[in-house]
Amino acid sequence: MASSETVRTLSLDGREIGLDAEGYLVDLEDWSPALAERLAAEEGRELTPEHWEVIEVLRDFYQRFSLSPAMRPLTKAMTQRFGADKGRSLHLMRLFPDSPPKVGARIAGLPKPTNCL
Amino acid sequence: MGIVSPGESLAPGELLVILRHAPHGSSWLREGLEAAMVAAAFGREVGLLFTGEGVLALLEGQQAGALGQKGSDNLLAALEMYDVERCYVDAAALERRGLSENDVSLLPVTVLAHADVVALTQCFSRVLSF
Amino acid sequence: MDNVVNNCMNLHLLNRSPFSSRVYEDVLNAMGSEDQLLLIEDGVNGALSSAGHYLAGLEGRLFALREDLESRGLSGRCSESVIVVDVDGFVALTEAADKTISWF
Repeated sequence: MASSETVRTLSLDGREIGLDAEGYLVDLEDWSPALAERLAAEEGRELTPEHWEVIEVLRDFYQRFSLSPAMRPLTKAMTQRFGADKGRSLHLMRLFPDSPPKVGARIAGLPKPTNCL
Repeated sequence: MGIVSPGESLAPGELLVILRHAPHGSSWLREGLEAAMVAAAFGREVGLLFTGEGVLALLEGQQAGALGQKGSDNLLAALEMYDVERCYVDAAALERRGLSENDVSLLPVTVLAHADVVALTQCFSRVLSF
Repeated sequence: MDNVVNNCMNLHLLNRSPFSSRVYEDVLNAMGSEDQLLLIEDGVNGALSSAGHYLAGLEGRLFALREDLESRGLSGRCSESVIVVDVDGFVALTEAADKTISWF
């Protein structure tokens, strides 16, 4: 669920964006593609078109279900939208190492997923 | 939908989550659904039984509550993405509330008579009640 | 129901009084003919003689927790058809059952 406490802020286009202790947006309305680039850069990642496919699917999932997906539903949603190759766990792990649902949700401006490790 | 033809839908399963609370009012229903989704996200085979007030979760037209309090309809909609496909509703609980299977259209559910409700609790190896 | 193992027995736990809560109806609806019911906490009010009609048909399968009866002063007021068990008995019932299902 959306966290509420701003632990640090990020300057973007003259605005201060609030982030929680784990780097998720405090106000989900703050998200923009430019912010996603910025959040990714902070983690040393550069967003490629393949990253953007995942971000699109994540944001669509959240819009439909008010929920950040765990790995399994994320792979299913990717498969439905972009085909089986894009839905493979390995593909997602390569794009967002460590935890695609968590890292992806952070960059896509969603709350931290509650139902995955 | 329809009364289950015995032996077909009541195959053994790993976790049965019994949902007995209505949307809003308490967090039991959401918590039960989230528990089911966690188990499913880890590849467990999960079944849901809506009984008692829980059958009200299946009515269409639900919304967020006062002050934007979340209901449970978004979680029900997401179940399919978590591959939670075995959903059952207790016919007696429906009938007691003046509802029929036509009213529970939010999810594809199998309506179970008493004997099959009992059988369901027996054919899953674990049961959690919410 | 050919592919279902029907010889397993579940233990149901009820912690609500049937005088004030209708959860007992859901319990009865989910109980198989061999299943057992243990009344705990406020559920032990269902062990009173005057509550017999709520939980009829469970002879030999209806239990109440001694500690919860005693703390409420209800020990001497139980229906004869209720089997009183202590916490050790509770554990033994749990062990004997295939699964335990809580109703609250």
